[in-house]
Amino acid sequence: MSEALLQIKQLNASYDGDTDVIRDVCFELTPGEIICIVGESGSGKSTLIKAIHGMSDLIISKGQILFDGRDLTHMKGNPRRELLGTEIGLIPQDPAASFNPIRRFDVQLKEALASHSRKDEGKAAEILEKMGMPDSRAVLHNRPFEVSGGMNQRIAIAAAMMFAPRLLLCDEATSALDVTTAGSVVDELLRIRKEQGTAILMVTHHLGIAKRMADQIGIMKNGKIVEYGNVRQIFEAPSHEYTRNLIRDVPRLKR
Amino acid sequence: MDKKKKQLKRKVMIAAACAGVLVVLALLSGVIAPNDPYATNAALIRKGPSAAYLFGTDNLGRCVLSRVLVGARTTIAATFILVAISFVIGILVGMLCGFYGGIVDEVMMRIADLMLAFPQMVVAIAVAGILGGGLGGAMIALGITMWTSFARLARSHTLSIKNEPYIQAARLLGKSGPRILLIHIMPNILEPVLINALTQIGTTMIGISGLSFLGLGVVAPQAEWGSMINEARAYIQIAPWAVLFPAAATVITIIVFNYLGDAVMEYRKADQ
Amino acid sequence: MKKQIIKRIIELIIILIVLSFLTFLLMYLAPGDPAEKRLSSQGVAVTKEVLQAEQERMGLLRPFFVRYGEWFTGILRGDFGVSFKDDMPVSPKLVSGLKNTSILALASLILSLLVSVPLGILSAVKQNSILDHIVRILSFIGNALPNFLISVLLMYFFCIRLNLFPVVATGSVQGLCLPALSLAIPMAGRFTRQIRTETMEQLRQDYVTGLRVRGVREKDILIHNVFRNASGHIFTIVALQIGILMGGSVVIETIFRWPGIGKLVMDSINARDYPTIMGFVLIMGTIYVIINFLSDVLYHVLDPRV
Repeated sequence: MSEALLQIKQLNASYDGDTDVIRDVCFELTPGEIICIVGESGSGKSTLIKAIHGMSDLIISKGQILFDGRDLTHMKGNPRRELLGTEIGLIPQDPAASFNPIRRFDVQLKEALASHSRKDEGKAAEILEKMGMPDSRAVLHNRPFEVSGGMNQRIAIAAAMMFAPRLLLCDEATSALDVTTAGSVVDELLRIRKEQGTAILMVTHHLGIAKRMADQIGIMKNGKIVEYGNVRQIFEAPSHEYTRNLIRDVPRLKR
Repeated sequence: MDKKKKQLKRKVMIAAACAGVLVVLALLSGVIAPNDPYATNAALIRKGPSAAYLFGTDNLGRCVLSRVLVGARTTIAATFILVAISFVIGILVGMLCGFYGGIVDEVMMRIADLMLAFPQMVVAIAVAGILGGGLGGAMIALGITMWTSFARLARSHTLSIKNEPYIQAARLLGKSGPRILLIHIMPNILEPVLINALTQIGTTMIGISGLSFLGLGVVAPQAEWGSMINEARAYIQIAPWAVLFPAAATVITIIVFNYLGDAVMEYRKADQ
Repeated sequence: MKKQIIKRIIELIIILIVLSFLTFLLMYLAPGDPAEKRLSSQGVAVTKEVLQAEQERMGLLRPFFVRYGEWFTGILRGDFGVSFKDDMPVSPKLVSGLKNTSILALASLILSLLVSVPLGILSAVKQNSILDHIVRILSFIGNALPNFLISVLLMYFFCIRLNLFPVVATGSVQGLCLPALSLAIPMAGRFTRQIRTETMEQLRQDYVTGLRVRGVREKDILIHNVFRNASGHIFTIVALQIGILMGGSVVIETIFRWPGIGKLVMDSINARDYPTIMGFVLIMGTIYVIINFLSDVLYHVLDPRV
């Protein structure tokens, strides 16, 4: 029917089963496409990511999430676990949210591999080297609390890419980083997409980043996507008042 | 959220009501006890529960029910007094140390550290043993280490609020130290320390009746649950009721106070 | 890290010295005269002359610091002095008592951990399930039971009613069961509650979600991450419980007549045998301080962030 990798249909979700934090969210992501959902804090964009990976106590009250034709909406247990990591990767906002802070990276990566019955232990180091991190094996000998936030974030990206997932979810993957590091992370994501055809769904509060990365942009406000279109549409002919305000407020970034 | 808080509040109320009943029973024990708890009766030795002696009699023919009731007063009063004294000493020391700092603070906190280095019951047994028994001795023995936890808590709370703008303002207005302590600091640190005191009641009760059980607390013939259990365990085969009723009373009382402590803590946590 | 440990060790030594001083001071200030107690227990008529001679013989009349110095240097050589009760050296009694107490303490510790670690973790993982409620109620009740009470009840049911165990546990393996159980039950209650809380705290951490999203098996998350990260706290909890365990063992040993250091001290208290009581307090304090020091070090090793 369609070649969409990820379909979100009329999605409503809440934390308490009462007030929906996101409402009627709809969009589709095709293989290799990058969509950025932009919104301020509290707009529900991180909730959207949580709804897709399903590993938080979120209640989906309405709608559907399809991944490669499979219904993810209420999928639980092992079937979901087997998809996560291998087919769907996540780069979290806070690198600390991704690793056990007091165990060595390589041990944790090995554990993740073993969980999916894989063995290619050198993979993460290889990815890191491609990202321009020499001596990556030695770096992976460290524990998360021993290295910088930027380093953590790169390793989190490597961990997410270890299985070459078809879909990469990025939850504010750059907002905890300084401008330069954020820029290199964006470049990294673009390279990954180019080389492996990974589809990326990125949520961010930073319209500049969306402009630089996205094929399609969704503007989210109060749990709803108020405007959706390709980069040119959004920036050149924004139809919604809120979008216009956002664009006006973007600090002029050098490209 | 609100629903949960209501539930927690109900829990606190129920626990407080139960604790209140126990305290009232203990206070009125002299009036409601059906018999004289100290009257021995050679004709009524180790009789099972009956209408006149609901909990039976012990090996001196004393009414177990009356002794359990009067024992409640001993145990509960001793516990409350001990916790209260430790609380007052602890909060004063902690507040002064936290507020003024300096050498006094250093010394007092070193002493508190040192007290923590001793296991509480070990000290209590040794001290109570040396003091040669008596409820007062047992209370001193337990109190030696007990004040320190209140002092530390009061100190850390004082430290965390002493630089708040309203305290600074009071200082700038030239209010005196004791006045600031009493009017501005005390009311703000009272609650957490009080809650801590509440949670200590159960363990203190175990401590007091434990010492009495070892013969290091109350002096016979005074009724106290720990010592009643100790006396009666020798003839538990013949008159198990003389052990089981004070035992049940001890467990129920500790459970009620522990439950109250837990409930208040939970409620407080949900509040924040 | 090394520097810190050395600093802590120096602190530890100072604490132990002060501990010994306080212990001695306590006995020095104690009311009641050991010489008089001893004479009257021997049935000697206590006249002033006899009393003074006895005090002289027991070394009670020398100045405080001389006595403390002598006692302290003796301890450094492993000599805890001579009993006031029977003039026998105290050290061998303390050592044999300590051995038996350690057996009892270790048995009850292992017993309670075997129960509380799995139950605490399980009830945290299955929060608000029926199992969790049952575990919470049981651990709450266990925590509220004074161990003297448990031991009396256990004795009543198992020794007298069912006749399964000997009433007097004079050091046999069979005799170990009930005393160990009496100590283990309230401890297991406390451990379970604390381990449950600690596990829930870990489960709330972000990294757990992070690992789940990476598809790590739940079993691995629990054992290699949650429990591993919680283990530092759990060791601290155990180390702090040792203090309560020491007090409890005095009670239990007295009830079951287990020939440990606790029973020894109760006998000594009744005879005002100060050297033995001092030895007991000092040894227990030292063990407690050292165990807590080790648990601190272990905590650093297990969680190098702090």
